[in-house]
Amino acid sequence: MPLYLYLLRRLLLAVPLVIGISLVAFTIANLVPSDPMAANLGERAAANPEIVAAFRAKWGLDQPVHIQYLTYLKNLLQGDLGTSIRTRRPVADELGKYLPATVELATASIFIALIAGVSLGVISAIWRNKPIDFIARIISLVGVSAPVFWLALMALVIFYLRLRILPGPGRLDAVISPPPAVTGLYTIDAILAGQWKTLGNAIAHLILPSLVLGAFSAGLITRITRSAMLEALSKDYIITARGKGLRERTVILRHGLRNALIPVVTVVGLSYSNLLTGAVLTETIFSWSGIGRYAYDAARSLDFAPIMGVSMLIALVFVVTNLVVDMLYYVLDPRIRL
Amino acid sequence: MRRFLRLFLVVAVCLTAFGAVSAQEEKVLVVGLAEDYNGLDVHRAYEPGGSLVHKAVYDTLVSFPADSVSEIVPNLAASWEISEDGLVYTFTLRDDVVFSNGAALTAADVVFSFNRMKNLKDNPSFLADTIASVEAADDLTVVLTLTQPDPAILAKLVFDAFSIVNAEEVKAQGGTDAADAAETDTAELWFDDNSSGTGPYMLDVYEPTVQTVLVRNPNYWGEAPYFDRIIIRNMPEASAQKLALEAGDIAIAMDISSDQLPSLEGNPNIQVYSTQSDTLIFLLMNQNPEVGGPMSNPQVQLAVRYALDYDGLRILGGTGTNTPAAMVPIGFAGALDPAEALPRDLDQARALLAEAGYADGFEVDLRYPDFTYIGTSFSLVAQKVQADLAEAGITVNLVPEELQVSLDAYRAGEQGFGLWLWNPDYYDTLDYVEFLPAGVVGNRAQWTDDNADQAILDLRDAVKVETDPAVRNELFRDIQLYEQQSGPFAPLFQPGVHFAYAADLQGFVYNSQWRVDLALLSR
Repeated sequence: MPLYLYLLRRLLLAVPLVIGISLVAFTIANLVPSDPMAANLGERAAANPEIVAAFRAKWGLDQPVHIQYLTYLKNLLQGDLGTSIRTRRPVADELGKYLPATVELATASIFIALIAGVSLGVISAIWRNKPIDFIARIISLVGVSAPVFWLALMALVIFYLRLRILPGPGRLDAVISPPPAVTGLYTIDAILAGQWKTLGNAIAHLILPSLVLGAFSAGLITRITRSAMLEALSKDYIITARGKGLRERTVILRHGLRNALIPVVTVVGLSYSNLLTGAVLTETIFSWSGIGRYAYDAARSLDFAPIMGVSMLIALVFVVTNLVVDMLYYVLDPRIRL
Repeated sequence: MRRFLRLFLVVAVCLTAFGAVSAQEEKVLVVGLAEDYNGLDVHRAYEPGGSLVHKAVYDTLVSFPADSVSEIVPNLAASWEISEDGLVYTFTLRDDVVFSNGAALTAADVVFSFNRMKNLKDNPSFLADTIASVEAADDLTVVLTLTQPDPAILAKLVFDAFSIVNAEEVKAQGGTDAADAAETDTAELWFDDNSSGTGPYMLDVYEPTVQTVLVRNPNYWGEAPYFDRIIIRNMPEASAQKLALEAGDIAIAMDISSDQLPSLEGNPNIQVYSTQSDTLIFLLMNQNPEVGGPMSNPQVQLAVRYALDYDGLRILGGTGTNTPAAMVPIGFAGALDPAEALPRDLDQARALLAEAGYADGFEVDLRYPDFTYIGTSFSLVAQKVQADLAEAGITVNLVPEELQVSLDAYRAGEQGFGLWLWNPDYYDTLDYVEFLPAGVVGNRAQWTDDNADQAILDLRDAVKVETDPAVRNELFRDIQLYEQQSGPFAPLFQPGVHFAYAADLQGFVYNSQWRVDLALLSR
């Protein structure tokens, strides 16, 4: 099958998936034994039948549930993701505001995790059962098992409060204004606007949260890389390569690592999706207004439109990262046919 | 050429130096706050965090002193008169007040603001329930007519939602004070980027969940505040606020928890302020025998009040925690002295239970929301109640529930024995008649005009219309003494609230209504 047809088919398959996810999210949100009215109106307003009735009418909550869902779908097809009950702002605008913050954080995290994980994994496979292997394995164990909030606080206490070499919570210092919004990623926007001071500050603010958020993925990638490398290095073609008199570096990187990368790519893809959607704790501690915190707040106030918007967005993120991972398989291993 | 270059360099250095000086001169205050508001339309204001912003940006007709809520002082209204029947309030406005856009304050602005707030039918609108009409008699005279005497009306007018905006400016942005404002007003989102007040500051930028930036109002009619710019950063996590304060990045941490106090107290660069909050944590015992079972028995209710270990509960609440003597919190006019509280008396409690026919005790479910509110873990409090009542012979089964689920049952009056909290809707003791028969909380305990004593009904009806402060305090005293002996509630405690700020910050004063008046701060 030609590549473009394959891509088209995969993207078309995402449509029923996303709609299915929206149905599941809507059903679950409606099954919760509570009421958006109680979660969003104040004590006294909730005791006033007139205000309650107006509230239900305004947000369409007086309609039967299936009508509410169909209305949502109808609006969705017109590109309208609805309005948040909690903030009264359009969900599309809010996703557009909070997603870039999380993308920036998750991308920096996966970048750190990839570099640290693959290097540690390769090192520990080459020097298997040597002291350096143990050190690498301990680091990865800490990364995988340390609770995120503990890591975050420790990182802040050490690098922000004691050593004073990195800035604290937030995406920028309080006195620095965000660069003009183009992508919503402060680093990219600062480059586009030529604001180098803002760029430096944005990068400095990224370091701690992305280290903390990336720690788990780094640990996981280390472990996967190590075991995949050990397997690859025991293969016949490695003996052949060595027999040909190739340099050890070439043997390890070209013949070993390249063949070990397939499972690593899978883990990186999954980790990236998880980082994009599961950063609530990191975002909270680092005062990083991203999609995780937004989803959490929306869920707490049973705010249907943002809950649905975030759920579908997450579904899309998974579809796209899976697609990218499959593309990478194809690039890495010519034997794989799409 | 070389001379030209030299001149250029000198000019460049001078300009840079000048720029650096003027940048340094801007006085900036950075505050860390767990942002609880989702918008800044002042007539929809409801959350305590928003008060910090609204107090700095807007003014109300009357106000409280900086450090208390027990007295009404003039603000935009220089004076006022109350009619004999308590139904008509005539306010005379100051003649020197201008809005941040330069327009002069007139009575029409007050009329528009009050009507818009009432007709938006949003969270704070209930505060205007007793207002029949508001009219401008002339440019500086506002006549407020009530539907019934409301001794709390002045205290209600201090609340943010009664802030005065510039009618013309807000109307131009789609704002309306018409009866159908709830459907037709379109100014809400405009208030997220703009302000229209007479306060010392103006809204510069509001980035929801990131920060709210205020700048000095150049047209302010009062004394100019010290700081040119105030940045309120959203820091949802108390530990992040503490770290940022210790690092010097913020000057005030608004959400410090009591377990953080010990490590802050040794720091010479940081001041800590703790006091009891206005949150009242209490037990509810349903008056309806079908719902409350044994808890509906007046002797059992009194036995519960005698069986509670108030000293232990206060320790559980942490620094700043205090125990009110009845259902009016400490800090409100007319509240009983904490020394008058019922003591723990287990013998009395057991005797009362025996009289009620429960000599061998009984078993009861305690339902409560399983959450932590301003540092108070409800499950810990419930366990303490369980242990205390066990000593008197009552076996309590703990039934933790998800907040919204529990809240629904509580509001519907379906809980037999519950653990809850109440925050004041406005800073007048009259808010606590809600704990009396047919009040908001009274109804949740199914305490109604039908099953209540005539004595408490008479007190309730009298205090609702009494305007003389001395007589009111007497009535509130009698009500609280009644509550100690009878009725379906037991007060537990008011948890502490804690603030920490840079030691070089001057003028930090706590007020329950707006917490901190940012305009009073300086370095």
